[in-house]
Amino acid sequence: MQKPADRTTPGVVSSVVAAGHPGGSEPQSDLLERLRAGDRESFADLVDGWSPALLRVALLYVSTRASAEEIVQDTWLAVISQLDRFEGRSSLKTWVFRILENLARTRGRREARSVPWSSAFPEPREPDGGRPTVDPRRFRGPEDRWPGGWTLVGRPTRWQPPPDDAAVSADLRRHLSHALAELPERQRTVVELRDVHGLSSDEVCERLALTAANQRVLLHRGRARLRTRLEAVYRDKETDYDRP
Amino acid sequence: MTGPEASVGGDPVLVVACKEFVELVTEHLDGTLPTRLDQAIAAHLELCEPCVHYLEQMRGTVSLLGTLPRETLSPAVRNQLLDVYARLHRGPSGAP
Repeated sequence: MQKPADRTTPGVVSSVVAAGHPGGSEPQSDLLERLRAGDRESFADLVDGWSPALLRVALLYVSTRASAEEIVQDTWLAVISQLDRFEGRSSLKTWVFRILENLARTRGRREARSVPWSSAFPEPREPDGGRPTVDPRRFRGPEDRWPGGWTLVGRPTRWQPPPDDAAVSADLRRHLSHALAELPERQRTVVELRDVHGLSSDEVCERLALTAANQRVLLHRGRARLRTRLEAVYRDKETDYDRP
Repeated sequence: MTGPEASVGGDPVLVVACKEFVELVTEHLDGTLPTRLDQAIAAHLELCEPCVHYLEQMRGTVSLLGTLPRETLSPAVRNQLLDVYARLHRGPSGAP
């Protein structure tokens, strides 16, 4: 299983990782003990590690950034006051996200944006249901000696320099943000939760009430479109990037 | 070399074409594919450089997504929360 990207700073990892462990497990019990004993650093780690994802999930229920931030704030206040009563049957992380969702649902209803995500953007609206994610013209036909293989002009080439190279990463990030914003809503939401916020597939399924299969399809289609966009950037910039 | 009809110990060997690999890449990265299919992909990648590039590009896209800036709580709200926590859960290291 591929672990979701860990976005936290090195010191933050231990608490945030422990809080993802199942209820009743040792790392979880240790963390709870620290939190109940007033370990400010552990609590700060959780707030810093999860608030971005909590904010993003809150925005599934309410339409303004201000409302979402209030919901996240109220969530942490509820966590603080109920910490001693948390029985640890689920992971701490699951518990925190469920508190958020309860608060967000109430708030969303009050703001008349009570339509749950899954019915606001139902399945059939997906514009590219079962279509291939790579242009079929880039592959050889069924009569070819290598059916379904890349054609000479269609084959992907190495991205040079790689996307994490400081020489190109800022530019690519800008293109990626634009491309992400243009994805169909369902794909964008799944890609953001999985890849930008580092939630696991199980977590995304629970947050969005998706089946594992649907989550996978949305993630796959979204990522494939983003890759295609970056590929186009590399192609257009070939001369720029190749320059020493 | 294996072809579509090749077999080992009676079990037909799965062969994955490039066109199929690009649709399996997300499950391959998630580790959710059946073992036989994952083995077929590993065999394919040994021989197919363009697909290795494709896989790398997908990984690169995902990593870059993980570095996009994320909105979070304002520092004022964050610090307020930590103060409330410290007031309610006083401990040896948490005392203000």
